[in-house]
Amino acid sequence: MAGEKIAGSKTIDRQFSGGRRKRQTAADKMYPLLLVLFGCIWLTATDSWHVYTDSLQSGGKKFLSAISASVSLWDGGRSPVGAADADANLNTNFNIENMGDTDNSTGQQEGQPDGPQNGQSDGQGAGQEDEIGPEEQKGVSYQTVEDDYFADAVFIGDSRTVGLFEYGGLEEISTFYASTGLTVHKLFSSKIVPVPGQKQKITVEEALTQNQFAKVYLMIGINEMGTGTPESFLEKYAECVAHIQELQPDAIIYLQSIMCVTDERSAQGDYITNEGIHIRNEGIAAMADDERIFYLDVNQSVCDETGAMTAGYTYDGVHLKAQYIALWKDYLKCHAVALDVSP
Amino acid sequence: MAFSSIEFLLFFLPIFFILYGLTPNRYKNITLLEGSIVFYTLGELRYLPLLAVSVVVNYFVGRFLGAGVDDKNKSKNKVKGGNKSKNGRNYEAWYREANRREWRKAVLFFALMGNLGTLLVFKSAVAEKALPLGLSFYTFQIVSYLIDVHRRDVPAERSFVKFATYIIMFPKLISGPIVNYGEVSEALDNRRMSWRNVQHGLKLFTLGLAAKVLLADRMGYLWNDVQVRGFESISTPLAWLGALAFSLNIYFDFYGYSLMAMGLGRMMGFSLPDNFRTPYMARSVRDFYRRWHMTLGRWFCDYVYIPLGGNRRGELCTVRNLLIVWALTGLWHGGRGNFLLWGILLWALIVIERQVQTFLERHPVRGKSIGKRLLIVPHLYLWAVIPVTWMCFAITDVRELFVYLGRMFGAAPQYMVLRNDWLRALQTYGGLFAFSVFACTPFIRRVYRRFRDSMVMNVALAILFWICVWRIMAYGNNPFMYSGF
Repeated sequence: MAGEKIAGSKTIDRQFSGGRRKRQTAADKMYPLLLVLFGCIWLTATDSWHVYTDSLQSGGKKFLSAISASVSLWDGGRSPVGAADADANLNTNFNIENMGDTDNSTGQQEGQPDGPQNGQSDGQGAGQEDEIGPEEQKGVSYQTVEDDYFADAVFIGDSRTVGLFEYGGLEEISTFYASTGLTVHKLFSSKIVPVPGQKQKITVEEALTQNQFAKVYLMIGINEMGTGTPESFLEKYAECVAHIQELQPDAIIYLQSIMCVTDERSAQGDYITNEGIHIRNEGIAAMADDERIFYLDVNQSVCDETGAMTAGYTYDGVHLKAQYIALWKDYLKCHAVALDVSP
Repeated sequence: MAFSSIEFLLFFLPIFFILYGLTPNRYKNITLLEGSIVFYTLGELRYLPLLAVSVVVNYFVGRFLGAGVDDKNKSKNKVKGGNKSKNGRNYEAWYREANRREWRKAVLFFALMGNLGTLLVFKSAVAEKALPLGLSFYTFQIVSYLIDVHRRDVPAERSFVKFATYIIMFPKLISGPIVNYGEVSEALDNRRMSWRNVQHGLKLFTLGLAAKVLLADRMGYLWNDVQVRGFESISTPLAWLGALAFSLNIYFDFYGYSLMAMGLGRMMGFSLPDNFRTPYMARSVRDFYRRWHMTLGRWFCDYVYIPLGGNRRGELCTVRNLLIVWALTGLWHGGRGNFLLWGILLWALIVIERQVQTFLERHPVRGKSIGKRLLIVPHLYLWAVIPVTWMCFAITDVRELFVYLGRMFGAAPQYMVLRNDWLRALQTYGGLFAFSVFACTPFIRRVYRRFRDSMVMNVALAILFWICVWRIMAYGNNPFMYSGF
């Protein structure tokens, strides 16, 4: 049976004080001072003293919301592993630039649940709002294709596209420029594309310059939700699309909708919400011109009737389980644009 | 507020200890109490009233239970006086004494039922997420206090401030260690916050922080990754890697927390008991749980196992007692089926080990050299068995649990399994695995002990501390796993 009598203080002493008395030296007293000194040096060198003001702000907000919503179950402070940022799980290269992003992320949320997300999920793809729907949805006709359709396609995206790469069965057929934690802000600048026979990875920019594709599939946008506003995101997204078009003038560009998260994940109380995703998706849909750029509402394939990801398809509420990646891939296979029909 | 959060490290820790250091010795308990209340409030405002009610009520219960100590002497005197005068009075005094004893028993019974009942209600009925922070730990501490007072092992605490400080002092409030009142009562009265203690405590705290942030959290990513893929879609080697990752994750998470708690206690002059003694170096499951979460094991030993008769009433009775203890240990971690399964599995392993040990004692291995060479076998056994038991602990959905166990032993059907997924995981996490396994040995602690006061160690630890802070800033902090129990 577990548990023998242990005299606490003795155990500690035996384990950590080495049992023998030592002469007091200067080093004996240095540690707390060193700690403060190094902290000052480091915070100054990396210019991160703002951590003090930031935390105060976000902490105050958190505290106030905890008071006001003391009935609600969870205050986000105890989210499960990996939830803090949806994509951190595979990313092992640290980046100082990250820090700013993650700091701000706790505080900011899109609190505008503008209704029209319903129009999203039941229509064929894009939102048909007058102001944002210049495209003629009916003009696009889709055909069903086989895997070889993707032979000259490149998939660009974040961890979800990594999932498609690993479990979509397209590893040998298509090209993937995907990386966990990728954002529109670093889409072209992060070195994520491995080159055969070369140790150094190259950027998406370089890769797209060197290689030409007939189709570009893009799904990105969940990791940006903690920073900026939907407007600033969409602006950057549009820039990225324009730049891709520049680099790949002959390609069809498929803009896939940002995949929704489960209701549970959306309600968890941090920056990832389905409302925010719907707002962004509307903006993305509006960028499609239905000539070279098409919008694909992949949420149709993985969402339930409420417009959230089906809970059974996922563990963390964000990423599809391997065995359900096929739903997404099948959707893409059923939605290949038949170009000859379009004007 | 977790110890490994920016709020704690950059705000609470320095501010509290500056205030605490400035407080005159007489009032240090009050500062500590106030700091602890602030600490709890920042973490969980909603259940502060529950904690407060619990402390107040149990303070009075403790006073009532302990009141007998003085009364006993008085009544003895009375009995003596009675002898001298009349027999009737003697009887009356004896009757009053017996009556009081019955009362004390009844009060103890109801107090225990109240405390444990509350815990049980929250463990089973309410959704797991709504468990009040630290409830399991402070309830067990209160129960140990009440029983100790009732047994006359310790006197009931007269000062409310000291009692409240004992229960809710923040280093151990949320996830232990479960401290007996007798261990800290002296320190509550009189302790010294010396520069040396502060320095030593801070170093322990730094080590714990590093274990949590640099080892546990990063190991957690692999376990998370395995869960994200879905258990149906992992290869058998990856299933084992995942189990290993979780085993290391939970160890460094909880060990890190315990070191931090000990360090914080040490800074104020408390000696909190140690919770771990290199458990993965054990040679049997029995041994493992003598080195893992030792304060919980001690609690069950003192207040359940031994009162039931321990191992002194024959093998059958021992097996029964072990079953009760392990079922309760499972229940303590949560009212879900998988925890019960986990407890029962451990019970079964321990019972088997007992039988094997008895057999080996009767049939000793001939020749010492062979015996010595075979010493690796128990290690291998432990390293194979413990990850499996941890999976029962980690996966709360029993159906999913069996899928996972099935994958570990290649028995469950598979969908979309990548043949080399485990190779990729090893490429990413191999170095971390190697270092974590190394950190499970006592070697690092020995090095630390040897060079603890050297300047190099000071500098290294100070750098380590800020690396951890940087990592928390960049990646966010994860809550401690045991704050959910």
